[in-house]
Amino acid sequence: MFDVHFLQQIVNGLSLGLVYALVAIGFTLIFGVLNVVNFAHGEVYTIGAFAGLLLITSVAPPLFAVLLVVAAVGALTGFGLERLAFKPFRRFRDEASIKSRAMREATLLSSLALSIVAREVLDLAFGGEMQVIPQSYLLQTPIMIGGVALTDGNLVILGASILMLAGLQWMLYRTRTGLAIRAVSNNVLGAQFVGINTERAIVATFLVGSMLGAVAGIMVGLYDGSIFPHMGFGPAVKAFVAMVMGGLSSIPGAVISALILGVAESVATDFVSAGWKDLIAYGFLIVTLVFFPRGIFGYSRERV
Amino acid sequence: MKSLVRTIVAVALGAALVAPAAAQEIYIGYQAPLTGTQSQYGEVFRNAATMQLEKFNAAGGVGGRKVVIVWEDSKSDPKEAVAIGRKFVDDKRIVGVLGDFASGPSMAVGEVYAKEGMAQLSQTASHPDYTKISKWQFRNITTQAQEGPYNAKWLKDLGVKNVAVLALQNDWGLSAAENFQKSFEQLGGKATTEYFNPGTRDFRSILTKVQRTNPDAVYLAMFYEEGALLLQQAKQLGMKVPFYSTSALYAPKLIELGGDAVDGMKLTTTFDANNPAANVRAFVEDYKKRYGQEPNQFAAQGYDATGIMLEALKRAGPNATRAQVRDALAATKDYPGVTGATTFDPQTREPSKTLAKMEVKGGKFVVMPQQ
Repeated sequence: MFDVHFLQQIVNGLSLGLVYALVAIGFTLIFGVLNVVNFAHGEVYTIGAFAGLLLITSVAPPLFAVLLVVAAVGALTGFGLERLAFKPFRRFRDEASIKSRAMREATLLSSLALSIVAREVLDLAFGGEMQVIPQSYLLQTPIMIGGVALTDGNLVILGASILMLAGLQWMLYRTRTGLAIRAVSNNVLGAQFVGINTERAIVATFLVGSMLGAVAGIMVGLYDGSIFPHMGFGPAVKAFVAMVMGGLSSIPGAVISALILGVAESVATDFVSAGWKDLIAYGFLIVTLVFFPRGIFGYSRERV
Repeated sequence: MKSLVRTIVAVALGAALVAPAAAQEIYIGYQAPLTGTQSQYGEVFRNAATMQLEKFNAAGGVGGRKVVIVWEDSKSDPKEAVAIGRKFVDDKRIVGVLGDFASGPSMAVGEVYAKEGMAQLSQTASHPDYTKISKWQFRNITTQAQEGPYNAKWLKDLGVKNVAVLALQNDWGLSAAENFQKSFEQLGGKATTEYFNPGTRDFRSILTKVQRTNPDAVYLAMFYEEGALLLQQAKQLGMKVPFYSTSALYAPKLIELGGDAVDGMKLTTTFDANNPAANVRAFVEDYKKRYGQEPNQFAAQGYDATGIMLEALKRAGPNATRAQVRDALAATKDYPGVTGATTFDPQTREPSKTLAKMEVKGGKFVVMPQQ
């Protein structure tokens, strides 16, 4: 049982979990601030992957440059997304509107609508099938360590995740913008009363969250070798589960939950048919909702 | 007075035009999705069938009489397909029908042809129940019920004892995996099947599970997108086990997506555009010249289905009834098509074809020497 294959399964699981975590970070950040699910996050991820692929096939720059450009595209996408799907529902400044659940939750539908439009436009422009990725850019070069196969993709994704998480924590806890974001996520009205520019904080959240989503898209696309218009759906669902498990608005909670989810799915493949894999994620979701409604890491007041 | 003369002239002229034509031409129907979301398939059927028909008529037709194909657009809709079926049945000139494309419409209209007694030959309907409708249904596509046992025997002959089957969890994947596994076990081998959900992109944990059982070979029952990803990830995990697959992975896109990771994968298939056989070369060249693109598997299926129908008409003779055309179709034996030599089983009316063994080598599908 506990042989090299088991170890390989753990590695597979951690790499899968990191993929979910990358998506979950941006997802959770936006949820923490707005208290509403951004359904278009999966499409930001897809747009990031396509932007990266276009860059690779046209200019063929080094990978690092690809990631930087994709981050910029992601930020831009986030800005546009916020403008089109979220901002129109904040146009009333009175207290009743700001507190209104209906106004807030209308963005569930507007972001869903935008995500469908984005996906179908990509489908029309590129076709629904998987895109051909130049082999030299694939993050699949094996690195064998005592019978366990790692890839350069594992290292890139791990490095990027640590960098992103650390950068995000630094921004949230060491900068004025981060302070504003935390204030807004805690209490929008209160933040407004003490003179914080809540609009700016919300836009900043979208810029950062979408940047992370887009970078995740291109990295996972190159790691799995698959970029296609519907690629965002699967990871977004798993990221959503990780976010709920982590307590909805805790980023470290979501990351740890994503890793648990990935490893659980991977190791479970050894015992049950892979056809049941999705049951693991939904099982976790149900258990969390029934027994740990505040997330498996318990009650905590601090948001974001 | 003037109008009466005109009428008489028109009638006489019409009779002159129609009478000899009616005596000379033999009609068959062809229903396929010529518009709508699956029009790309209907289009290649029409291209290929037109080629086959012109060749047949130029070579003398049925005892000097030309054959005409009446085209109808089923839009891949079962309701449309049934309406076309009624139309064809009511048209007394039509003695046989080709089509439809997908199993759904083909089976819906199959009920009409079964009731009214008209031979139906679909180039592609692969649902197991299609030929079970009645004695009037035929098809020109091999199903997993033929491919599975064929591949099982192939692997067994190569000395493979233990196979891991990786299959897509849907109707098609299930039938592909079960047909293979059952035959392989009957031959004394050992096979275990692992299913995965449609939409799976990360196969590493499934592959690791396979690695643990240490099989002699892995048999893939999936389509080219999953196939390319799986083979890439297998290479990355350092798997050295040989991979085999159904004809579903026979697509140029597999190599485009998978790069050198798909090298060495072996499969069986019926049509190969690079097959050096003379009839295949002639078909590929002619098709390219006429339509400016390489014919795909579907073009080949349509081409052969039309050919089989025309041969049957020829054998049935110039004044054959619908029943005689059916019997002639059922007697099809070793029809030398571009998708291999085709024989219909007299009982089940299922086609059996000789399958070509292929290997991906240096970024190309190459035919393996017969062994």
